[in-house]
Amino acid sequence: MNELAKPPVPGIGLTAKYPEIGTGPIDTRIYHDPAVYEKEMEAIFKRSWWMIGRIDQIPKAGDFFTFYMPTFRQEVLVCRDRNGEVNAFHNVCTHRGNVVEHRREGHSQGLFMCRFHGWAFDLQGNLSRIRDEEGFFGLDKKCLGLKKIPMGIWEGFIWVCPEDEPHQTLEDFLGQQGRDLVGYPWGATTQSYQLETEVECNWKLINDSPAEVYHIPVLHPTSAAPTMMASGNVMGRLLDTEIKGKHRTNSHYSVRGEPKPVQKLAYFHAAAAQNVAVEDKGYELPKGINPTRSPWWTVDLIQFFPNVGFTLSAGMYTAHQVWPLGPNRSIYQQRVFVRPATNAAERFGQENTMVEFRDIVMEDFSTLERIQRALDTGQIKQFHYHDHELALRHQHKVVTDVLADYDRELA
Amino acid sequence: MGTSLPDGFADLAPLVADWAHDGVVARMTRRQSSTIAELKAFYEVMLPRGEAVLAHLRQYPLGDLPPEVENLLRLMLMLAEVAPAVEWYNDPMVYDGFPIQRVQFRRTISDTAAQV
Repeated sequence: MNELAKPPVPGIGLTAKYPEIGTGPIDTRIYHDPAVYEKEMEAIFKRSWWMIGRIDQIPKAGDFFTFYMPTFRQEVLVCRDRNGEVNAFHNVCTHRGNVVEHRREGHSQGLFMCRFHGWAFDLQGNLSRIRDEEGFFGLDKKCLGLKKIPMGIWEGFIWVCPEDEPHQTLEDFLGQQGRDLVGYPWGATTQSYQLETEVECNWKLINDSPAEVYHIPVLHPTSAAPTMMASGNVMGRLLDTEIKGKHRTNSHYSVRGEPKPVQKLAYFHAAAAQNVAVEDKGYELPKGINPTRSPWWTVDLIQFFPNVGFTLSAGMYTAHQVWPLGPNRSIYQQRVFVRPATNAAERFGQENTMVEFRDIVMEDFSTLERIQRALDTGQIKQFHYHDHELALRHQHKVVTDVLADYDRELA
Repeated sequence: MGTSLPDGFADLAPLVADWAHDGVVARMTRRQSSTIAELKAFYEVMLPRGEAVLAHLRQYPLGDLPPEVENLLRLMLMLAEVAPAVEWYNDPMVYDGFPIQRVQFRRTISDTAAQV
């Protein structure tokens, strides 16, 4: 817990650091126009890398998981082969197109067998067996292996690109933001909950939801506000917003107020202050985390454009991902990563962390479909952003710029 | 799983049948289908015993919990689920929130299995 007295209230002036972003009202058309969505699919979604899991999900040779990417209606099969390499394939049998592996996760003895006609593929995707092969007409098995999907690994996270020829490498996609986060103990939080819901709103609204904390004192008056906005930060200001190309990080100011009784049990009696403990973390934060090195830091929201965000503190983090389904439909996935519990008391701490986070997200999400209705019916044609809503203004500019570049590319 | 609790926690035994549930999804359902009065009654019995319960649970590594310790742990996990309803919302639901019935868990952490 942070004991420093009289912390300064963060000031106004974030937006002024980035004069190219401007200060005027923004046009809300990109939040609902079907034509914009069509263009985003080509210019943004297909050209991005998408996080689909972690290498710890498949520690041993033969371990696998499958992952459905709803935006692209593509399914991926990820496995570890006998050389220890992680391989990622389109989960499509080369005979007739059924999925090769129908389970969400598991362990393979060495072959993935399609449950349609029994064609079998090894851990490197080679077609190793065709049932009743003599009935086929000169098939070349070497050409009928599983199709690889472009895949890369960053800090233990597995990313894929839906296009056969990626527009840019994963390293270039992650950019400076990716480099500045190397060294955080991403793998220490071996335990995770994963939540999912479909929301009738544009993908950008979901990104907007945690990307400003101007709303915290009002939308979260009894939950997050008393702990995050204590000691005079009543307007809910950030320590900083740092823009790095298309990506950005919001750094959150916080001095904890008096915890609620059950929080107190979790924080002080169950080694569960995973989202607040800073002092004895036992490692150095990489420079991309708490970039201002503020003693009043607790959490960063690290956004990789377009659709992956990490809410990250010294001891745990969450990873959210938005899968666009249309101009006003999206799937939201949230993984809550926590450190392993060694005893039964610590198990309570994990549950407390997840329940609090989940309920606060439910508060955030109350607004999404209501805003989308106002957008779809033309009731709100402009958004007026506060200085500390800079992240939203930045996202709007990035999308607008990328679409304009794409238009020029086509012209 | 029976309704017994470790020695020294007999006062909580009447809670086990109604409030010790396996898994976060069952606990969420229990919270959402309760009245706030029921949740408060549970909370008010559990909260003053929280420190003692955690001190007891701390002695047991996950993965090999005696059945009565499992029951005690599940009561504490239910307290974690119930706490926001009582402390934040005074309502089983998140006040004015997104409907939690539309949220699915694709992965959860086992209540009792070893993690290391």
